[in-house]
Amino acid sequence: MAAVEGAATGVQSQQHQPPARAVERLNSAVQQQLNLDSIKTRATSLFKAISRILEEFDAISRANAVPKWQDVMSQFSMVNMELFNIVEDIKNVSKAFVVHPRNVNAENATILPVMLSSKLLPEMEIDDNTKREQLLQGMQNLPVSAQIEKLKARIDMIGAACESAEKVIADTRKAYFGTRQGPTILPTIDKVQAAKIQEQENLLRSAVNHGEGLRISGDQRQITSTLPVHLVDILAANDGPQNYSDTSGMYLKNTPPLSSTSNNSQGNLLQASGAQLLGRSAASPSGATVSNSFDNTTASPLQYANSPRSGASMMNTPSPQQQSLQQLQQQQQQQRQKMMQIPQHQQLLAQQQFRQSSMNMGQNQLPQLHDLQGQGQQKFQQMHGQQHMQFSQPLTAQHRQLSSGAMHVNQNQMNQGNQLSRQINQFSSPANNAMFNSAQTTPSQISNMAMMSSQSVFPRMQVGMSGGNRNLPSQNLSDQMFNMGAANSGGMMPLQQQQHSSQGAFGNMQQSGQNLQPNMVQMQNTAQNHPNFQQSRPQNQQ
Amino acid sequence: MECVVQGIIETQHVEALEILLQGLCGVHRERLRIHELCLKSGPNLGLVASEVRLLCDLEQPEPTWTVRHIGGAMRGAGAEQISVLVRTLTESKVSKNALRLFYSLGYKLDHELLRVGFAFHFQRGAQITVTVSSVNKMLKLHATDEAVPVTPGIQLVEVTAPASSENYTEVVAAVSSFCEYLAPLLHLSKPGVTTGVVPTAAAAAASLMSDGGGTTL
Repeated sequence: MAAVEGAATGVQSQQHQPPARAVERLNSAVQQQLNLDSIKTRATSLFKAISRILEEFDAISRANAVPKWQDVMSQFSMVNMELFNIVEDIKNVSKAFVVHPRNVNAENATILPVMLSSKLLPEMEIDDNTKREQLLQGMQNLPVSAQIEKLKARIDMIGAACESAEKVIADTRKAYFGTRQGPTILPTIDKVQAAKIQEQENLLRSAVNHGEGLRISGDQRQITSTLPVHLVDILAANDGPQNYSDTSGMYLKNTPPLSSTSNNSQGNLLQASGAQLLGRSAASPSGATVSNSFDNTTASPLQYANSPRSGASMMNTPSPQQQSLQQLQQQQQQQRQKMMQIPQHQQLLAQQQFRQSSMNMGQNQLPQLHDLQGQGQQKFQQMHGQQHMQFSQPLTAQHRQLSSGAMHVNQNQMNQGNQLSRQINQFSSPANNAMFNSAQTTPSQISNMAMMSSQSVFPRMQVGMSGGNRNLPSQNLSDQMFNMGAANSGGMMPLQQQQHSSQGAFGNMQQSGQNLQPNMVQMQNTAQNHPNFQQSRPQNQQ
Repeated sequence: MECVVQGIIETQHVEALEILLQGLCGVHRERLRIHELCLKSGPNLGLVASEVRLLCDLEQPEPTWTVRHIGGAMRGAGAEQISVLVRTLTESKVSKNALRLFYSLGYKLDHELLRVGFAFHFQRGAQITVTVSSVNKMLKLHATDEAVPVTPGIQLVEVTAPASSENYTEVVAAVSSFCEYLAPLLHLSKPGVTTGVVPTAAAAAASLMSDGGGTTL
């Protein structure tokens, strides 16, 4: 408090200095925060109160009376409060100005004596003593000045030793590097080597960041060797290569379950490979068996009420699913992926539709396929002559064979539309009803497919796909067509026309009928070049 | 988000780099053997094809799987000035049937690779991970035991550190300053930017590998 008073008076006294000297005042901003005069007044009043109390104590002690502790305590608390208030006010501006006493309160009561004491802690004191003894060994009897001299000499010696050590290190370093690298030659890499390294680096970086050079072609994507431990139970041994985005045909002799499991995903819009579906539906009739006869197909198409296969809604306008799919398909997508997806869905569709047919849908059943193709071809020939499309069996052929030329041809001819539906009734197979129903919606589906590919010139074929797998199966088919006869631009009808109604577009289709033949020839040729195809195609289609 | 830089080093200098990293990081190296499968989505899954990476850590006694999605990198003038790539990253541990799940969602295997090497994880301003690995490709599908290096003479060095949008500047600074320590041996840059090898690499590697030498005092 005395300090406060002193500071206050100090400021004030300076204010009374002669004008020649600069008058020191508090910063105007600070002055607003802190009214120095009032602080001074309060400080002086507090000082007077405390001196009065001290006088009272003095009187009491002289009189040897017992002080009334209540009075004493109340007076003390009053004084304490006043001091506290003053300190609080000053704290706002007290960063550089004042020194003020700190109240002793609970938090610092215990540590204050320790902080104020100048004696070292016992441990520190012991350390200090031992160090001092070490230092002054042998010198303690000498006078202090002599001790100082000796210590100084010691310090100088140590300094000199350090300097010489640093010098030696620097010299050695120079010598070491000097001998290794030569005077001022920066190491360089010769250009040839640099170029090689650059090339390797590009390979590596593109491999890591983009996967360049790491993609295996479809032929090699068969799991021929044993799977590593961490993949063994994830990819079942008979799953076969799944879902590789590659254009090679899906015909893999050693992946029979592909078709079997596809039975389970009726009405499933997802593109799931057969292997993936292995674990999904318990109702798979064929289970893990290789052969996938239609007799084994699972639940009826009516499983999904919304599915076009249910028959009731066959003639409706394309469902939102189709429309949204159309939007999806309108992007540029890899044809390979489409190719990938198609076989699976084609299987699904064909199986679902023809479940009662006696034809086998086993993709990898070569003999069965052979028969199927034979049938397909027969139909094809009929159709070709009549320019009629007959759905059922040729469609199954289409579904099964990715690269079948017959498929393509049939597809082309199927574009001739409504006539097909009429002809469907000719078939005795009850599955034809499903075919018929599904066929009605296929134009839209096909056109959806077509919109996806920017190259589409071909009329979209009406593949008898059920609504469940609407767009996906035909994608690949149409893409295959593109692959096969992409160069063909023989006036194929635009897709949009097909999209809207199954009946309306057929007038257009007939116009293209004439064009189909050369196209078909082309496709057949290219189809025949397909390696898988050659395995199963018995003869020329026509 | 993560900050990432990549660099290359010749295989002959990898040991020297390991010694340097050991000294800088103060932790022991961890062996690395990761089978990375890169899956791309099919056309039914949205307008843009998305890519997801499944990483299987084969060093653990029980192979652990992680799924990782690498998003777009930060763009802009500020991004161009910093020498570190800052990109969004989503990562999660998954159970081992994640591969099946992605396949059934319609994802297809685009490519796969196997990283074999070592890694250091340490804290230096940020949680930094340095991996030095040889990137191997598999000639046959999933045949990790028969993997061959893509570039036998060169290995990939990657320095990554997780970051958030609030603290990425500090993380970038930490990664950059750490990379300076590796300057004698290799240069690190944003993925996609080629660096070449450092001319002083041979000398630096030699000095790291030597047992001291020099004259006795």
